[in-house]
Amino acid sequence: MSTVILVGETDGNGIKDVSQQVAGVAAGMGEVVGLVIGKNVSESAMKLAAGKVIIADDERLEYYDPVKYASIVSQVVQKNDATKVLMGATTMGKDLGPRVAAELGWGYLGDCLEASSEGFVRPDFAGKVLARSKPEGPLVASIRNNAYPIGESWSGSVENFSGDIPDSTLNTTSIEKIGAGTIELTEANIVVSGGRGLESPENYEALIRPLAATMGAAAGASRAIVDAGWVPHSHQVGQTGKTVTPDLYLAIGISGAIQHLGGMSGSKFIAAINKDPEAPIFKVADYGIVGDLFETVPVLKTKLEKL
Amino acid sequence: MNIAVLIKMVPDTESRLEIIDGKVKEDGFKYMVNPYDEFAVEQAVQFKEAVGGKVTLVSLFSDNTSIDTDLRKMMAIGADETIVLRQQEYSGNKPSSNARILSETVKELNADLIMCGVQGIDYYQAATGPMIAHFLGVPHVSGVTNLELSGDKLIASRQIEGGLQIVETPTPVLITCQKDMTKVRFPALKDIMMSKRKPFDNRDVGSEPGNDVQTTECSLPPARGGGVILEGEGPEEKVDRLIEKLKMEAKVL
Ligand SMILES: Cc1cc2nc3c(=O)[nH]c(=O)nc-3n(C[C@H](O)[C@H](O)[C@H](O)COP(=O)(O)OP(=O)(O)OC[C@H]3O[C@@H](n4cnc5c(N)ncnc54)[C@H](O)[C@@H]3O)c2cc1C
Ligand SMILES: Nc1ncnc2c1ncn2[C@@H]1O[C@H](COP(=O)(O)O)[C@@H](O)[C@H]1O
Repeated sequence: MSTVILVGETDGNGIKDVSQQVAGVAAGMGEVVGLVIGKNVSESAMKLAAGKVIIADDERLEYYDPVKYASIVSQVVQKNDATKVLMGATTMGKDLGPRVAAELGWGYLGDCLEASSEGFVRPDFAGKVLARSKPEGPLVASIRNNAYPIGESWSGSVENFSGDIPDSTLNTTSIEKIGAGTIELTEANIVVSGGRGLESPENYEALIRPLAATMGAAAGASRAIVDAGWVPHSHQVGQTGKTVTPDLYLAIGISGAIQHLGGMSGSKFIAAINKDPEAPIFKVADYGIVGDLFETVPVLKTKLEKL
Repeated sequence: MNIAVLIKMVPDTESRLEIIDGKVKEDGFKYMVNPYDEFAVEQAVQFKEAVGGKVTLVSLFSDNTSIDTDLRKMMAIGADETIVLRQQEYSGNKPSSNARILSETVKELNADLIMCGVQGIDYYQAATGPMIAHFLGVPHVSGVTNLELSGDKLIASRQIEGGLQIVETPTPVLITCQKDMTKVRFPALKDIMMSKRKPFDNRDVGSEPGNDVQTTECSLPPARGGGVILEGEGPEEKVDRLIEKLKMEAKVL
C-alpha cells in the first residue's frame, strides 16, 4: 500500500480542525504518516489522527519558513517512500505545498474541494467551474477547510524527526495579531458579511461585528467596502478575496455581484438581508429577507441574544 | 535594484464560462492582467523610484497579441521593459511547467527581487511563485500585504490566519503580493505615450514537460436551490421565520 504524508498544523488549542479533516481523507488513500513541524508542538502533535506521527520540534522551527519546512517534508517523503503529501489549504499549506511539489518534482493540486482515491476536485474561476482530475503520478495537494468531517484524534506511534534542518535567510521577527479573539474567516462555521448597504464604516462596527459576535461568527465584507477603506482586505470575500465555505453565510447589504458569489457560493446555507428584491444575492439565498437592514439587523440581534 | 515582475494574463472576470464536452470553452475569452500582479508592478516601480534600478515584466502566454496593450499599460505605470514568452499550447493551468520556463528567463535577468501575484484568478493555484523560487534556489514570502526596504534588506508582512507574520529577508528573494500592498497609480498621459516606445520583446518558447496534473473533466457547480424569500408583515415576523429556519433546517443555532 502507498504511504501518504499528512502535514498537520497546531494552534493554541491543539491540532487544527482542518488537519484532522485531511487525516480522514489521507486514511482513504494509503498508510498515513503524520508530520508536525514547529516549536513546542510535541504534545499537540500526538493527537493527529495518524497511525504514526513524526515530530520535528525545534527552536529553529518556531515560525513557518518555506525553505526549512519544505526540506523537512521532502526528507520525510524520501525516508518513508511516500507517494502523496496532503495538507490543509491554510496560509501555510498553500505556501508550502507548491514549494514541496517543485522540490520533489511532483504534481500539485491547490485548495481542493474533494479528495479521495477516486480523484480530486478543484475550483477554477473562483468556483464557477469544478475541475476533476485523477492524478496517476505522485502528488502534493492542499485541501480546503470544511470540505470533510473532522477525524477522531488518536495517538499511534511517535517518532522524532532526525534529518537536517537547513539554514534559511528568512527571519521572522514577530507575529502581529489582528483582532485577537476574532474568528478567522476561512475557519468559521458562520460568516456574517456586510456591504455598501451599510452606508458607513461606523455602521459596520455597530451592526456587523456585534451580530457576528452574538452568532459566534467571523465578520466578512464585500470588496466595495474594502476598497472604500472601511475594513482591511483580510475581511474581503470573493474572487479577489477569501473563499469561504461555512455552514451559514449571512450577507447584509450586499448586492451579490458575480465576483462576490465566487467566494461564498459553496456555503452550505446562504441567508441575505437586502432592501432590493431584485438583488442578485437572492438568487442564491436559501433564506432571503427583503427589508431595510437598519430595521432588520437590530431585531435579529436582540432575538438571537434571547435564545 | 533589478526587479522582475511576473505577469499572468487571465480571463476577464466577466468572461462567460461555458462547458462543452467537459472542457471550458476558451475561444471567447478576453484577457486582462491578473489583478494581484498590478500591485506587484506598482510596488516594484516604487522601489525603483526610491533606489534606482530596472523593472522588467515577464509573461508567459499564447500567440494572442490582444494582451499587448494591457502590458503596455503596466509599462506606463513605470516598468522599463517587457518580455513575453509565446507558447503555442500555453495553458494557465500548468504551474509546474510554466514555473520551469519562467524561471529560465528570470535567471538571465539576475534580479534582486522577483515579484508575483499571490494567485492567478483563473485557476487559483497560488503555486507558480513558490515553485519558481525553488527553481531559482531563493527563498520566498507569500501573501505579502506590506513590503518595505530597510537598508539592504526587505521587511515583508505576510497575511496569516488571525494576523501578520513579519519576515525580514535579504535579496535575492521572491515575494507574492496580496491585495492591500499598495495603491496602483493611474498613469499620466505622457507616461502612456512613453510606454509605447519601451522595449517589448516577444520570444517563442517550446513546451516543457512538467509534472502537472491534467484536468480530466470540468463541470459547472450544481445550481444552488436559492431564490427563497421569507414572507412576513414586518421585520419582527421575517426575523422569526429566519431564526426558525436557522434552527430547524440549517441547524447552526
Ligand atoms: C476584477 C474584479 C474583482 C472583484 N473581486 C471582488 C471580490 O473579491 N469580492 C467582492 O465582494 N467584490 C468583488 N468585485 C466587485 C463586485 O463587482 C461588486 O462591485 C461588489 O461586490 C459590490 O459590493 P456591495 O455588494 O457591497 O455593493 P453594492 O453592489 O453597491 O450593493 C449594495 C447593496 O446594499 C443594498 N442596500 C442598500 N441600502 C440598504 C439598506 N438600508 N438595507 C438593506 N439593503 C440595502 C442595495 O440594495 C445593494 O444591493 C470585483 C470586481 C472586479 C471587476
Ligand atoms: N504564465 C505566467 N506568466 C507570468 N507569470 C505567471 C504566469 N503564471 C503565473 N504567474 C505568476 O504567478 C502568480 C500566481 O499564479 P498561479 O500559480 O497561477 O496562481 C501570478 O500572479 C503571476 O505573478
